[in-house]
Amino acid sequence: MIRQPNAIVGNDRLLVTVGKKGEIFGYYFPGRDFAQHVEESQACLHDGKGLIWSNAREWVADQKYIENTNIIITELVHPSGLVMHITDFVHPALPVLVRKYKISSKKKFSGKFFYYSNFQVGEMNKKNSAFCDYNSGLLGQYWKNYHVGISSSPMFQEWQIGKAMDTIWWTNAKYDMEDGELQGNLEDIGDLNCSIGWKLDIDDSKPAEFTVFIGAASKRPALYKRMRQVQNETIENMYNETQEKWIKWLSKKKHLEIPEYLGFKAFRQDLFKGFNRSLLALSVLSDSSKGSFVAAPEFDHGFEKSGGYGYCWNRDTAEVVTSLLEAGYPEYCSRFFKWCKTTQLQDGSWFQRYWLDGNTAPSWGNFSFSTQIDETGSTIFAMDSFYRTLQQPMKAEFLDSMWATVICAAEYLMRRSSKGLHEHCICLWETFGGVFTYTNAAVYAGLMGAANMARDYNEKGLADRWTQRAEFIKSTTIDKLWLDEGYFARGIIHGKIDTAIDASIIGTFVPFNMLSASDKKEKMMIESMINNIEEQLRVPVNNHFGIKRYVDDKYIDGNPWIVTTLWLSKALLEIAITIDDKDNGKEEIKTLTNAALKYIQWSLKGATGAGMLPEQVNKYTGSPAWAIPLGWSCALMLDNILLLDKLLKKRSDKNV
Amino acid sequence: MVRDLYMFSKIDKEAEVVWFKITYENTVRSEADITSFFAENGLDIRFAYLDSSEDPSKGKYVMFTEVEKNKDIKSIADKLGKMDVVLNLDWGFSKNRAIQTVEFPLHLLGERAIIIRVKTFVNILNIINENAPQSEGLLTMIGLKSGTGVVQYFRDMVDVNDNNFLDLLKELFMASGWGTLDYEMNTVDKTGTLRVTDSFIADEYEGSDVPKCAYMSGFFAGYISESLDTTVQVRETICKSMGNAFCEHQVSPAPKDVKIEHLHKGE
Repeated sequence: MIRQPNAIVGNDRLLVTVGKKGEIFGYYFPGRDFAQHVEESQACLHDGKGLIWSNAREWVADQKYIENTNIIITELVHPSGLVMHITDFVHPALPVLVRKYKISSKKKFSGKFFYYSNFQVGEMNKKNSAFCDYNSGLLGQYWKNYHVGISSSPMFQEWQIGKAMDTIWWTNAKYDMEDGELQGNLEDIGDLNCSIGWKLDIDDSKPAEFTVFIGAASKRPALYKRMRQVQNETIENMYNETQEKWIKWLSKKKHLEIPEYLGFKAFRQDLFKGFNRSLLALSVLSDSSKGSFVAAPEFDHGFEKSGGYGYCWNRDTAEVVTSLLEAGYPEYCSRFFKWCKTTQLQDGSWFQRYWLDGNTAPSWGNFSFSTQIDETGSTIFAMDSFYRTLQQPMKAEFLDSMWATVICAAEYLMRRSSKGLHEHCICLWETFGGVFTYTNAAVYAGLMGAANMARDYNEKGLADRWTQRAEFIKSTTIDKLWLDEGYFARGIIHGKIDTAIDASIIGTFVPFNMLSASDKKEKMMIESMINNIEEQLRVPVNNHFGIKRYVDDKYIDGNPWIVTTLWLSKALLEIAITIDDKDNGKEEIKTLTNAALKYIQWSLKGATGAGMLPEQVNKYTGSPAWAIPLGWSCALMLDNILLLDKLLKKRSDKNV
Repeated sequence: MVRDLYMFSKIDKEAEVVWFKITYENTVRSEADITSFFAENGLDIRFAYLDSSEDPSKGKYVMFTEVEKNKDIKSIADKLGKMDVVLNLDWGFSKNRAIQTVEFPLHLLGERAIIIRVKTFVNILNIINENAPQSEGLLTMIGLKSGTGVVQYFRDMVDVNDNNFLDLLKELFMASGWGTLDYEMNTVDKTGTLRVTDSFIADEYEGSDVPKCAYMSGFFAGYISESLDTTVQVRETICKSMGNAFCEHQVSPAPKDVKIEHLHKGE
């Protein structure tokens, strides 16, 4: 079932996605991509007559993060006067989710507090096995080497393990809860669900607190050990350590000033928050042991409406790691490029997408004609961007370790672009087959990056050859794909120029720098592209405009995307930075900055209540629409805010 | 349950189908007056129903008629609308000769309802059986939920007790077209047999190796458990789809501390 989260929590070993009302939507261990062990997991009250599920319609929910942390607070208010306050975080060191519930009521309430779960351990809805070891305060469920366990503080008083989908329906824990009493079945096998429960007697002056721990391990003894450890720690201590850990991690970020700017004073705080939240989200999307990132936590496991998102795409990750690099976190680059070294295919290219451990993921790009050449270009371009920031001797060491990867990738790009445009492949949106402006720009950038590294590696011959080809690609792209209307065609499809406007053509400027804003003629081309994109791809919603991918986009209703919108604002800011701040320049910079700020503001408005940036914004309602949070969107948000900071600081320095 | 449907298999191929929905003042002569009006104006009634059970002062009279083409229906409708007993009138042509209802939305057992062909419903069951893991359990759960809900609805209308709950179910089965139900039930020890003739599910199958009415077993389990306020299990032991003349479902109290694996082993 497709469910979009509102927030995520995690650490290096666990990723958890959470719905607006505190429901667990995804519980990923040991990878961020596999295995997802939870079908349903949430609290429920029994008022003596019936069940009140925490995700029932009547509850009014408010969910937000504790500032500068990956700790979520969810407050649910029921019309009856009940209030459920949930604090969710993942233990600072262990793969254990901590869920602290505080229940209060304006009037006397006598009943039960249940915590219900339907685990599908190992993503299996059969052949699971569950048991309740009451003496150890642990309810465990396992399949092969995946073990998930629940324990609590205080210790749960009753429990049920039952068949989630069977003709002996009365053992089903969900049904068992309905009479307010749990049967206490000790063990079972198959497709299972479970519930634990406590008596709940509260009134206005006497709230109740229950903390549920959901832990994971690869072996049963390890699960016991972990759960014992959290049972022996105080919740307060775990909370404080978690908070401290995230604040410390965030303190490494590049210092932002974002000087006051006329008309955007109130918005300044939102920029700081958006920056921090994007960083914190990316930290959880990353597999730090491997160096890869999930594009977004998987929400479409059955590929019902998409091809899924819980995989690593080089295209997305190249932008993510360079953004993190700019934001003060270079370690993500070095880890990712090590991963790239091991995942590069024999022909020098990279596959459409991978599992985070480097295995090739389910793909519709298995042939040379259906691969996505831009991903190889993006990877080498990003690698060079990182390389340029290194100091000696790390710089030389990095190049030594990567040279074979660089040369293989560059030669792949050479083989696939001999006529000045790349050969047939699939576009970055994974929709069209043909030759594309964006992909040519990526090949250009990849070859230029490779040439830069080749020069330093004393391979002048290769550097010249790759630079020459890159220049040839640039001139051919302009010659064949630039239209009289003042923008690049999307590309060549079925042998014909496809003049439909596609927001990805801005890739010729950002991120790939095939065009330069410092060149007068090219600056005019960039501005003309921006005007055409704004004119033809703007979608009015949330009091401004977002930018959709291309005309007649049919994917999920053709909503505006955060990435395409933030590409545009990034382009506006990049132009503004190159303008000389004199005479007419001031006015031009102001116009560009204001326009960019409106797009950034629009993108932040499209985030979830907790601040997660989605892939898309619903064009009718303005609410986050798909793939939450999307790493690529977070990366572009970082880029934009860093650029804005740089621009405003530059202006403010001059004014001083 | 009222079926406000008319399947148009026109007797006179050249005729047009016109429907009328009349709200009338309920007197002993009202229905007769309205029917006479139709006869006097040459409107041939093919299908009709009336209902004055909800509000004794008013009635609803719905009829589908066939009339010759180009007949001035508007004038007739105007006259009809002016009759003393007629409080409100809607009317219209059915152009498509398919299915026409003048009641929308349909309601059944207090909830919005739709009409679905048995074939379509059984197709859904088949797709679930072929593709969903533990499909029998899944269908049991779906049926269970429906059966429980029906009792809750009945309780709003009548006193549901040990003596009448199965009679109510029998009437519901007949009225909804699910089949004809006969039963023997001991409400003290919660055991019994439910026999369904012409089960709408089993009717769609032939030569099955296993019983096919898990959805109906689940429905019975929910209905009986909710009615008796105790947990029963219901298993289909004889099914028409397996070549029998009817389907039979056995009711028994849910066993305690027994696992399905043990049941399968016959313990």
